[in-house]
Amino acid sequence: MKSKSDRLSPGALALLVLVLAGAMLLCICVGSVSISPADTLRVLLCALLRRPMPEGVSANIILNVRLPRVVNVALVGAALSLCGAAMQGLLRNPLADGSTLGVSSGASLGAVLALALDVTLPGTAFGGTMLLAMIFAFLSLMLILALAYALDRSLATNSIILIGVIFSMFASSVMSLIISFSGDKLRSITFWTMGSLSGTGFAHARVLAAALLVCGAVVLAHARELNAMAIGEDDARHVGVNVRRVKLTLMIAVSVLIGVCVSVGGTIGFVGLVVPHMARMIVGPNHGRLLPASMLAGAIFLLLCDLIARTLLRPIELSIGVVTSLVGAVAFVLIFYRTRRAARC
Amino acid sequence: MNKKILALLLAALLTLAACCAMAESTSVSITDMYGREVTLDAPATRIVALTAADCEILCALGCEETLVGRGAYCDYPESILDVPVVQSGAETNIEEILALEPQVVLMSDMAQSQELVNLLEENGVRVVISNADDIAGVYTAIRMIGALMGRGEAAEALVGDMQATFDGIAAKSESTGKTVYFEVSPLEWGLWTAGSRTFMDELAAMCGLTNAFADVEGWAPISEEQVLERNPDYIVTITMYYGEGPTPVEEIMGRAGWQSLTAVQAGSVYNADSNAISRPGPRLKDAAIELFDFVNGEAQEEAPAA
Repeated sequence: MKSKSDRLSPGALALLVLVLAGAMLLCICVGSVSISPADTLRVLLCALLRRPMPEGVSANIILNVRLPRVVNVALVGAALSLCGAAMQGLLRNPLADGSTLGVSSGASLGAVLALALDVTLPGTAFGGTMLLAMIFAFLSLMLILALAYALDRSLATNSIILIGVIFSMFASSVMSLIISFSGDKLRSITFWTMGSLSGTGFAHARVLAAALLVCGAVVLAHARELNAMAIGEDDARHVGVNVRRVKLTLMIAVSVLIGVCVSVGGTIGFVGLVVPHMARMIVGPNHGRLLPASMLAGAIFLLLCDLIARTLLRPIELSIGVVTSLVGAVAFVLIFYRTRRAARC
Repeated sequence: MNKKILALLLAALLTLAACCAMAESTSVSITDMYGREVTLDAPATRIVALTAADCEILCALGCEETLVGRGAYCDYPESILDVPVVQSGAETNIEEILALEPQVVLMSDMAQSQELVNLLEENGVRVVISNADDIAGVYTAIRMIGALMGRGEAAEALVGDMQATFDGIAAKSESTGKTVYFEVSPLEWGLWTAGSRTFMDELAAMCGLTNAFADVEGWAPISEEQVLERNPDYIVTITMYYGEGPTPVEEIMGRAGWQSLTAVQAGSVYNADSNAISRPGPRLKDAAIELFDFVNGEAQEEAPAA
């Protein structure tokens, strides 16, 4: 039974993958424009088998608009949830997440700065934005933790969140400041900071997939260390975990992932907060199971949120950040309430 | 005899006084577009215009020299760029405005509060609010500002000119049932379009086109696949070009999946002057000409000079 407790059971894994596949298929079939599932499947099959496409617009919409978007949404959802799960474990804080800690805001600030100052990496379309978003995500995380540590050495749940929220506000104000100074050019960014994955293509998907592959592997490889640290940093040290190195490695991995996600889709709040909790209810707190489950569940969750954003008011499209924040805010209150009550008991 | 002379003198004096009074009776009284009565002893001579459209109307009426302050977005005509800038919209700063000692502040109802209006009025500055959301509304605004400035004739001439242009275009265009999609925000930042009850919608109708997103009201974010399905015959983007990377038209022509669109295949994609086509001001006339020329295959590389 030992292997079962440290790894996701094949049954659970298969189930999650199946649900994910189902969600992806659903999101490709259902959209702002109605295309029958039969037509959708025919187009997908033709594309897979490289057969000539059936006539009509539907092939174009499915292959050029929905498919890349669905892939991007799934990758961003998986990455954000993995980050949330890793940070919650690392900080032993049930409310930790890129958005509550202010890391996403920091990353947005970096991205906006890159756009305002025209920072570009030669040969790439969005390399400069991405790089600055990553660096700012990492610096924000460091700053927030340093401040929290100075305030309260035990890094209590509330003080970290408090500083995270303050930092988020600070980052947004600086962002507004940059936007108002740089005139017309950046005004359109205001829409983007709400979070949107519309118009993202396969080029974005390749970068997201690469980041998730590398950083995801790094995070997953540290599941045991995260388990040890869940008991306490001292205990982790006693069982031979190099706490400093593990923390730094994980924080870099998380920052890179958040930076990439933010530069592709803007700030999409609360995904990393809510999904790991849902995953924990299903597979338990062991990180060996929790981390992969969070990734898969995160992809499913964000796909469904995006589906709502795309179809609720069609032809109008909601910002995906609005949907996740609506769901996430309610979940946040519930989790906060439950942890406070648990702490009091 | 003396009495007669006195009476005559008195009568002459009275006539003179009456004449003077008539000459001095230049007070203007207008009702602004919020239904507020505004009365001035004489046409206004010191104006702060917060919105770009009001500023353009003012200048088109030949009152440029009365402008003592302009809102942050007022950038046309170029000759006003030397006029001091004040914050506008949600950041409107009352101290900045009062420091310019205007008689009248022209503003729209967008992002402005009743408190701000009251505060300005308490400080002796008259506030005139414009609120045009269609071309008829622009005429009202022009006439209102004309009356305020004692330029009623110029206002009528301007309205007449706009009307004649619009009527001319409408007469030359026949309803073809072809559709146009207006792109207000590019794909990169999430697509936004201008639906019904917008100036773009009105101009499209004038040119015999149907707005592809007439079912959406105002400016709204829309799904990319809706554009692909509605397959517009024309695409008009108002994205500004800053001189680097692909132009807005090239960017649209190069989008994955957009190649099959009628507009893209026919090269019927046009980058319109965003300010002319979206501001409730006199340059809607230029925007209409621009759109008409584009639809009839006579689009110039640059917007026609005003």
